[in-house]
Amino acid sequence: MVKQKQKNIGTFLFFGGPAVFVFFAVVLVPLAFGFYLTLTNWNMSSGQHRFVWLKNYKQVFSDASYLSQLWFTLKYAFFSVIFSNAGAFFLGLSLNRGMKGQSVLRTGFFTPNLIGGLVLGYLWQILFSQVLPYIGRKYGLPLFATSWLSDTGRAFWALVIVNSWQLIGYLMIVYIAGFVNIPSDLLEAAEIDGAGGIKKITSIILPLSVSSITICVFLALSRSFLTYDLNLALTNGGPYGSTELASFHIVQKAFLSNQYGVGQAEAVILFIVVAAIALTQSFLMKKMEVEA
Amino acid sequence: MKRQIFLISGIYLLCIFSFTGCTKSSGSTKSRNSSDKEIKLTFFNTSAEVNNQFSELFDVYHQSHPNVTITLIPTPIGGQQIQQFQSLIASKNPATLANLDIGTIYLYKNKFMDLTSEKDYFENISQQDAVDSALLDGKLIGIPYTVQGYGLLYNKRVVDTALGTTFDPSSIKTRNDLEALFKKISQAGVPPVMIHGANWSVGAHYLTLAYALQSPDVAKDVQFVTDMENGKVDLGKNAIYSGLLDTFDLLKKYNYRKNDPLVADYAKDCLDFASGKVAFFFMGDWVWSQIGSLEGIDREYGIIPVPVSNSPDDYGNSRIPVSEPKLFAIDNSGSTPEQQAAAVDFIKWLLTSAEGQAALVSKMGFNMPYKGVTVKSDNVLSAAVSKYIQSGKTISIGVMTYLPADYYTATGDSMLKYLAGKTDRQSLTNELLAYWESVAAR
Repeated sequence: MVKQKQKNIGTFLFFGGPAVFVFFAVVLVPLAFGFYLTLTNWNMSSGQHRFVWLKNYKQVFSDASYLSQLWFTLKYAFFSVIFSNAGAFFLGLSLNRGMKGQSVLRTGFFTPNLIGGLVLGYLWQILFSQVLPYIGRKYGLPLFATSWLSDTGRAFWALVIVNSWQLIGYLMIVYIAGFVNIPSDLLEAAEIDGAGGIKKITSIILPLSVSSITICVFLALSRSFLTYDLNLALTNGGPYGSTELASFHIVQKAFLSNQYGVGQAEAVILFIVVAAIALTQSFLMKKMEVEA
Repeated sequence: MKRQIFLISGIYLLCIFSFTGCTKSSGSTKSRNSSDKEIKLTFFNTSAEVNNQFSELFDVYHQSHPNVTITLIPTPIGGQQIQQFQSLIASKNPATLANLDIGTIYLYKNKFMDLTSEKDYFENISQQDAVDSALLDGKLIGIPYTVQGYGLLYNKRVVDTALGTTFDPSSIKTRNDLEALFKKISQAGVPPVMIHGANWSVGAHYLTLAYALQSPDVAKDVQFVTDMENGKVDLGKNAIYSGLLDTFDLLKKYNYRKNDPLVADYAKDCLDFASGKVAFFFMGDWVWSQIGSLEGIDREYGIIPVPVSNSPDDYGNSRIPVSEPKLFAIDNSGSTPEQQAAAVDFIKWLLTSAEGQAALVSKMGFNMPYKGVTVKSDNVLSAAVSKYIQSGKTISIGVMTYLPADYYTATGDSMLKYLAGKTDRQSLTNELLAYWESVAAR
C-alpha cells in the first residue's frame, strides 16, 4: 500500500513535476512576492524597503486619477467585448457557409493576431493621425478632419476599434469551431419546419453556441483588461493622459513616478477586479449552456 | 510505455539543457574574459534619434578593438525609456553603458560607477565648466558629451522671404517684437510658428523655463520648486510664469498645428519645418539629426530666445536655455570590473579619437563641449547655439536635474490640455500646483 502510494507520488512528480515547478516559479511566487511588495515602500533606485502596511492601498483609493482610469478600463473592456464578439459571431457565421475563397478570408481576418500589438498600434496610429485626416480634409468629412488620437472621446473609440479588430479574427476561429459542432440535422429539421435565417440563429445556433460564447467573452475580457502594448503604441496615454488603461497607468506609476509599491497595489486591485468579473461571467454563462 | 518514458526523458533532458544554457550565457563573459579577453558591453541609449549612428559607431570601434563588442539597446523617441531602463536594473541585467538624462542618473546615482577619480582627465580635455556642470552632488557620475540649446528655431529662407528683407534675430527682444514679427509673417501668407504637441516639448522644455528663469542660480530655482511643493508659491501671481504663458498664448495663436495641435508626429513636424512650410519651430538644435540628412530641404537656420516679457533687459529675453541634458554613465550594479574598464576606455576613445568625434559631431550632430574637436559640423543649428554660449547668453536649466522623473508627463499633459484649449489658465495653474504638492506627499 505504502509502496503503491510512493510510486504514485513518484509518477506524479515525473509527469507533473515540471509543470508544477514552472507554475510556481512564474505564477505563484511572483504573485505572492508582488503582494508582499505592496506592503512596503520599495523603489528601484534605493533598493531598500520597509513595511508601510496598507498605506499604499490607502493612497490608491484616494487617487482620483486611478479610479477614473479603472472606470475607463471597464468601459473599454465592455465595448471591446461587445464589438469583438458580435463581429466575430457574424463573421464566423458568414464564413461557415462554404462560400468560395472562405479559407483565404478566414486567414485574412485572423492575420491581425499574428502581428504584435506594438506594430499594430503604430500602423493604426499612422492611419488615425495621418491617413484619415488627409481623406477627411480632402472630402470635407468633419469626423475625420482631425486626428482621432488627439481628441479624448475619439481616442477612446480608436482604442476600442483597434482592439476589437484584432480580437475578431481570433474569436471568429473559436466560433467557427463551435458552429461546425452544431448537428446539421437540427438545422435541416428547423428548415423543414419553416424557420427562416433569423429564427435559425436565435433558436438553434445561438443556444448551441453558448459554450463558445463563454470562452470568447472570457478571452476578450481578460485580453481587454490587460491591454498594454496597444495602448502604448496607439495613444501612449494621450491626449494629455486621458487614455491610460489600468495596466498602462500601473507601469507609469511604478516605473516612471518611481512609486513601485503604489503601482503594485494598483496591479493587485486590477487583478481582483478582473478575476471577479471573469469568474462571475463564466459562472453565469455556464448555467446557460444547453445540450443538443 | 517504454516509448513514453523515452519521450519524457528526452523532454527532461531538453529542459535541463535549456536551463544550463541560461546560466552559461550569463556567466560566459566572465569565463571568456580570462581566456581570450573578449568583452561584451551593452549600451542603453535614450538619444533615440541617433540609434543607427550609435550602432554604426560600435561596429567601427569593434574593428579597432576586436575584443570589445558593444550592443545597442535602443529606445523609441518619446517612448517608455525610463521604464525600459528600470526593468533592466530590476532584472539584474543592467546595461554596462547608458546614455541617460541627467535627472535619471541623479535618481539612480548609487547604481552607477563613481568616476570622480577620473575627473582631472576629463577636465583637461573638456571646455571650461563642461565637467563642472555635469557634477551631481559634487561627484562625477556621468560624462558629458553634448551641449544642447533650444528656443525658437527659424528657417532663414522662409523668414527672409516673408519679411522681404534679411531677418535680424537680435531685433526680437520682447514679446511685442515677436508678436509684430509673427503678424508680418502671417500677413505674407506663411504660418509663423509650430509647437510640437508632445508633453516632453511643452512640459520639459517650455514650462521648465518658468522655474529656470526665477534666478540665474540653479540652487534658487530648485528652492522655488521646493516652495511650490510645500504650497508656499502663489504661482498664478508669479510674473515669470505668467509672462511665459503669455508668450505661450502668442505661440498658440499663431500655431501652424492649431487645427489639430496634439498630433505630435516628430518626423513630420521636423520635415515641415525643414521644407519651409512654417517659419519658426519651438525645438532645439537636436532636430538636425532628423533633418540634416534629408534631401531638398533648406540649409540655413537660426535660433532666437523665447521672450517672456516686454522689457528687453529681463533675464532670459536675450538668452537661450542650454544644458548638458544627457550623460554617459557606467553601471556599477551588475557589471564586471573588466566591463567597466572597457566602458571607460570606450568613452575616452569616443571623446578623443577622430572616429569618435566624427560620429558624435558630424553624424549625430552633437555639439561637443571638448577641446581640440577638429571635425567640422554641418549642424548650423548647433553653430547658432554655440554663438550664444560663446557670448555667455545662456540660461542654465540645471533645475531639471532635480525634478522628479514623471514631471514632464504630468506637467506636460496639463500644458497640452491648455494648448488644445480644453482648460483655462487658472485651472492649468491649479493642476500644476496640485502635481507639485502631490510630489511632496510621496
